[in-house]
Amino acid sequence: MKYAYFPGCKIAHHLPIHGRSVEAVCARLDVELVKTEFSCCGYPVRHESRDASVYSALRNLALAENLGLDLMTPCKCCFGNLQQARYQAGQDEKLKHRMKDLLHEEGLEFPEKVRVRHFLQILDDLPGSVASAVIRPLKGLKIACHYGCHALRPENITHFDDPLAPTIFERLVAATGATPLPWDLRLECCGYPLRGRDENIADLLVAKKMAGASSSGADLLATACTYCQLQFGGENQKRSQTIPAVLFSTILGLALGLNPEEVGIKPGDVLTRFVV
Amino acid sequence: MDFFSIGLVLACASAALGALWRMRGWFKRGVAMGRPGQDRPRPGVLGILGMLVGGLADLVLLRRTMRSPLRWTGHTLLILGFGPLIVLHAMDGVVTRPFFAGYEPTLDPWQFLRNLFGLLSVLGLTLLFLNRCMTLKKFSKLQDWTLIAVVFGILISGFLLESFKIMSAGDFKRMVDDYFVEAESEELISLKAYWARENGVRFRQFLPTAPELLELGAELHEDRCAGCHSPTSSAFVSRSMTSLVPASLYIADQGRDLFWYVHVGLAFLGLALLPWGKFFHPVATGINLLTRGGTRTADTPTHTLARGLGLDACTRCGQCSLHCSVAPAHRVLGNPDILPMDKLADLRCHLDDRLSPGRSAALVEGSHICTECLRCTQVCSAGIDLQDLWMASKKSLTEAGRAGVDGEIRKRTAGEWARELASRDLGRVGGTGAGLADRAESFWGCVQCTTCTGVCPVVAVSEDPSRDLDLAPQQIMNLLRMGLKAQTLGARMVWSCTTCYKCQEHCPQGVPVADILYELRQLGAEILRKKEGRS
Repeated sequence: MKYAYFPGCKIAHHLPIHGRSVEAVCARLDVELVKTEFSCCGYPVRHESRDASVYSALRNLALAENLGLDLMTPCKCCFGNLQQARYQAGQDEKLKHRMKDLLHEEGLEFPEKVRVRHFLQILDDLPGSVASAVIRPLKGLKIACHYGCHALRPENITHFDDPLAPTIFERLVAATGATPLPWDLRLECCGYPLRGRDENIADLLVAKKMAGASSSGADLLATACTYCQLQFGGENQKRSQTIPAVLFSTILGLALGLNPEEVGIKPGDVLTRFVV
Repeated sequence: MDFFSIGLVLACASAALGALWRMRGWFKRGVAMGRPGQDRPRPGVLGILGMLVGGLADLVLLRRTMRSPLRWTGHTLLILGFGPLIVLHAMDGVVTRPFFAGYEPTLDPWQFLRNLFGLLSVLGLTLLFLNRCMTLKKFSKLQDWTLIAVVFGILISGFLLESFKIMSAGDFKRMVDDYFVEAESEELISLKAYWARENGVRFRQFLPTAPELLELGAELHEDRCAGCHSPTSSAFVSRSMTSLVPASLYIADQGRDLFWYVHVGLAFLGLALLPWGKFFHPVATGINLLTRGGTRTADTPTHTLARGLGLDACTRCGQCSLHCSVAPAHRVLGNPDILPMDKLADLRCHLDDRLSPGRSAALVEGSHICTECLRCTQVCSAGIDLQDLWMASKKSLTEAGRAGVDGEIRKRTAGEWARELASRDLGRVGGTGAGLADRAESFWGCVQCTTCTGVCPVVAVSEDPSRDLDLAPQQIMNLLRMGLKAQTLGARMVWSCTTCYKCQEHCPQGVPVADILYELRQLGAEILRKKEGRS
């Protein structure tokens, strides 16, 4: 398995451990990640301009297509916008023309073939199951999965999973030996998109969400998106009594027997009890 | 006071006062950036040692320019050539003569080295010029080309000056008058013949070439001249250039005078311009590379003064803008402040309070479109902690009420926006949008069932939606259906939408609610861009 690796903008400075743990997990599972200089996925600029957002995304898809590889991103917002861009260009001939012109000026072709995959999807796609690679099962660990909106909806564009009753995250969590718990708000928004726009509502959304995860009886809240983790992780730092939010790449890395430090487990973390 | 002394004094005064003024800017802008956060871990003793080595490696080896071999080679050659020229040649009166016994500019190794260093500099500068033409042309401004032109002018005029001096019969006469007073005319002729043949001096009079005369000339030369004059052939560039002047032209004396003024004048100009723009980069960038200690991240502690220095250390090499993650957004929107290099220049002006309202709006937009991806900081060849500057300036701009499109919209109520926009043809403004909000088909299926409002997490966390959000999603759809777009554009619901797409996914009638809210925000952004004169 080989993918063009699209980390997204926020990993390098704001959440480097997401990149490190995803890369470590992929290396362990023989998934080869090819790095190239991508630009922004266009998600953040979508509020400002449709053309800027769609072009940013298509340019990345064209770069991946030049590599002859499908693209893999660990960020749900990047995933969503990359899917959105191609859908929108497909719906609007004029937009597609403008995009083709811009791409041609850079010597790129409109990307027709390349598939966009999320980290969870490529794990789910693995020929040998993830469970068979787990050497340190996380028995007894109860996990509340947080899905992340932009991969899940709108399903007719993102094609991630069933938008009303998705199972991919719970299946993967179960593969680590941990127990995924059902909870009411698992498909709700984390609130990060309103950071810097409406802090008040962003705070209310994240508080509600974490309280919900906590009352489900879970030990931790699992995320698989850079933005979601930034939102919950920020809340963990502000209020120590909130349910700990942990990246799925960290959880899986631990179950795969990777060096706990390498996948982002610090002393005192909820997962340290599984570190031998 | 002659030209030289007056020029030197003026140039030195300009350089010194200007440099002080630049350094004052480091303090002033550093303070204007606000207090740096204290959350970054302090390096230990080993860390500080590593930073010392890293900083020196960046400075001496130009390590950060290595991603472009052409540029690294060019810059290295220029430094290896131009540095020694400044110290050993331009400042020979205070460096070379006092420290090297028997120094004469016309003696080897100095004469040879001057040509060698000059040649290295010209080669290096040519490579840098090519690099700028090939990859950086679109980012280049007056100061970029001026710096290249001034340094190139100094080098070429230096070679020309030396060439004409070599050919000058006037200089020969001056030297002979000073050092050869009692010479007999036959001796003088033979010395002239020798210098014409061996050293390339051009005399108008016909000179004999008889071997015994040349031999006498050679003896006289050894006796009286060679103590201060190596053969001019060791000035290999200048001597070769003499062949460019036709033998029938006797312009050496005039050429020598002209190029003396050009060479010295340009050198003074370069010195006087030192505090202008990127002319200062050998000072500011050098210090910045040392203080950054080889760090390519934004994880080490920063300091008010270090921020001010970083703001001043840009060499306009364009790497940040070439590799910027949001460069595609710049291509579409055209705002130069989306790209780091121009944004840094405007941020500097903003901190100095001399940014026009239009540029100021461009800076705010650029600042908010930046995704803080760290890449400019990683590729910056001046080692500037751009990441820190972007995050800090975004914060301070927001605190000063410049929070981008969102902030501008929220400054007024939905009703005020509705009144302002009512007279406009909003359909035409959003020309690049999908047009969902203007299309009756988008809402045909809407039966006002309120499902969109019912599933909206933003509505759910609001205690009083009509106070916090002005309109609920289904009300927005209803107003749009009636063509009342202006009534919806300023509604808080539009701007506080968290883009979770639940409304759209759950709508039983397939109304693209979330896409329509996106479209309204894009339209709002476009209206503001027009209002601020940015598109």
